[in-house]
Amino acid sequence: MRNRIAPILNLVEYEDKLKPLTNRRPVASLPFACRYRLVDFPFSSLYNAEAESAALFISGSGHSLYDHIRSGSTWGLDSLAGGGVFTHSQVKLKADRSTESKHDRFYYEDHYNYVTRAKADYVVMMGSAFLSNIQIESLMHYHEDKDSQVTVVYKKVNRDELSSDTVYSALDLGDEEGCDISGVTAISDVKEDRFNLNMETMILSKKTFLDYLYRAKLAELDINVNNFIQFSLDSGCSVYGYEYAGYLKVVEDIKSYYDANMDMLHEDNFNSLFYRADPVRTRSKNSAPTYYGQTAMIENAQFANDCEVYGTVKDSLIFRKVKIAENAHIEDSIIMQDSCIEEGAYLKHVILDKHVYVKKGVRLEGTAENPIVIAKDGVIYAEGEVKEE
Amino acid sequence: MKTETVAMILAGGQGSRLGKLTKQIAKPAVPFGGNYRIIDFALSNCANSGINDVGVVTQYQPLVLNDHVGNGSSWGLNRHNGGATILQPYSSVDGEKFFKGTAHAVFQNMDFIDQKNPDYVVILSGDHIYKMDYEKMLDYHKQQAASLTVGVMPVPWEDASRFGVMATDRTDRIIEFQEKPDNPKSNLASMGIYIFSWPRLKQYLVDNQSKNRQMEDFGHHVIPAYLRNSEAIYAYSFEGYWKDVGTLESLWSANMEFLDPEHDLNIRNRDWRVYSKSPNTTPQFLTSSAKVKDSMITDGCYVAGEINHSILSHNVKVGKNSVITDSFIMPNAVIGENVRIEKAIVGEGAHIFDDAELIGTEDDIAVAGYGEEIGGYSDEK
Repeated sequence: MRNRIAPILNLVEYEDKLKPLTNRRPVASLPFACRYRLVDFPFSSLYNAEAESAALFISGSGHSLYDHIRSGSTWGLDSLAGGGVFTHSQVKLKADRSTESKHDRFYYEDHYNYVTRAKADYVVMMGSAFLSNIQIESLMHYHEDKDSQVTVVYKKVNRDELSSDTVYSALDLGDEEGCDISGVTAISDVKEDRFNLNMETMILSKKTFLDYLYRAKLAELDINVNNFIQFSLDSGCSVYGYEYAGYLKVVEDIKSYYDANMDMLHEDNFNSLFYRADPVRTRSKNSAPTYYGQTAMIENAQFANDCEVYGTVKDSLIFRKVKIAENAHIEDSIIMQDSCIEEGAYLKHVILDKHVYVKKGVRLEGTAENPIVIAKDGVIYAEGEVKEE
Repeated sequence: MKTETVAMILAGGQGSRLGKLTKQIAKPAVPFGGNYRIIDFALSNCANSGINDVGVVTQYQPLVLNDHVGNGSSWGLNRHNGGATILQPYSSVDGEKFFKGTAHAVFQNMDFIDQKNPDYVVILSGDHIYKMDYEKMLDYHKQQAASLTVGVMPVPWEDASRFGVMATDRTDRIIEFQEKPDNPKSNLASMGIYIFSWPRLKQYLVDNQSKNRQMEDFGHHVIPAYLRNSEAIYAYSFEGYWKDVGTLESLWSANMEFLDPEHDLNIRNRDWRVYSKSPNTTPQFLTSSAKVKDSMITDGCYVAGEINHSILSHNVKVGKNSVITDSFIMPNAVIGENVRIEKAIVGEGAHIFDDAELIGTEDDIAVAGYGEEIGGYSDEK
């Protein structure tokens, strides 16, 4: 298949309520389901659409993201003929430093350069906080079929599927087959219990994109899906909604992040996200199989390779290179890479970030509503003392 | 930078003693230890020893092997003009170049080695499980000013007659080579690892081929010729875990040994890693009906049954109420419900249907072949 899209990943996302997990990484780099990062999902969508390049706009340094993406070869983005991952970091810092306008000059120029140089018919804009597995090809076909100028992805959801103070919005669908969009409403202002969640993923022609880009620059606006929908509505263009029916979780705070992971322990969710025709790809790492010892007791849990397990693990997700000693008990928890849990420790409703050391006999118990989060590199002693290494 | 050393991994063998397991793939491509193929050990040794130019000589059923090795990037070999190169027989004006033996395979690929123009050639076999630093052996080779250094391992005297043994003098110079002798003069068994000084070896191979003298096999022709001509041949002793997995029983027992967390191979040691081409697959999912003891499980597995002292390679599915004991299950095998598997090797992509049994003994390992189907509806009505 010939590449037809120029994807722009807007990774300047809401991360404050995900702290401390986002202290040193963007939302896109959040570890997920034992061996993935959230960005693997949009990237896998690009891979399946045979995209040859992608532009990334990152709020901070993007270090953890670069480490994960490398050349982009995992997702077929490293072709010498037209391929490449074009990264633009420190969007926030540059905006803050800019004296003349809200964004510095290069913010618009970077978008312009990428899109004009990409060999593509369409621009696809997406982020990483809407955890899903979107088929860009079907989106593109729908867009062409409707002769739409801008097509936005939505999913019908119930209010209780989202955080109570969610910052996201709903699409107001008009009459025409229920798929033309007449407006965007913040969810806090939506009265109905069931609505069309705006997944902030859109497709539009290169020409329309450049036209809106020019307007965004004049008005000093952010380049994002919502502003572009507004431009479209203001100019009376056709805006269509494309319904996504697969698994979706909006990762916007610790609770939704925790729930998204726990969802994977239910086979239907797991299958919806992973066992589809198009697989989810992540950077492969060299690893040994996981060893389960004589004393291991496992019940409904997922593991990555390279772990050594001698304790009890129930309804939990365990990332790579985790060591769980005999008589340790882990339940309803997420344990990230390189963590170590000593004998007799008891963890329930806990999220351990990478490389956390839980000493003998420690007891940590959160709730499903409010899991305990231990930041990266923490060491937890039984006395309850937390030391940063 | 000049290429000092080229490694040639001889991976052309069929491995007929592995029966059904090597009908479709060459022995070095046979899966091992959950996440590996046998050749990964030799390739990783090369990478860890700083040898980046590796020729992989294939011949028998090479598809899987070629796909696995690729350009060697999984082992980090594709740097600084190095890399793994798959060498297959080809035809030329001199006729077809199928390999008649180990030395002949090197002779036929002389162009590849000459292109790199190395001082030394390391000859390895692609079907042994071990971790070894070839750089130390190379240092020894240089120190002895040897024209050939043979990797040897002390074996129990009573087993010596099953190997090619090297009798040495006090300086470790090899003075006699005996192939599977009745009365061994030494207990130093050849590991099939050779370091040759390339210009000298080339001379032997070219001269003897042109004189139409047989120089097809290292053990049978080249080493005896070196001995007759009083070349400096030294033995380099290796101590550590080394296993030839050429039979079903040895492949099975090597896997069972591999399960031991205290195993000599120390697979989790980050300083000498064993690399492999990792598949893109999901996390391992152990359901609430799963029971797993003393076992290794790999990404992509889905386990609803009971696993005791066994290895599941990637993407293996095990249904409810199935019990797998003392067995090695290769990638992508599907095991239904109520299945019993004991002391067995299940081949890649094999399908064991509900209620089937596959039970072996230590001396007679049960085997399901590559893609084989076992059980299912019986033919009788």
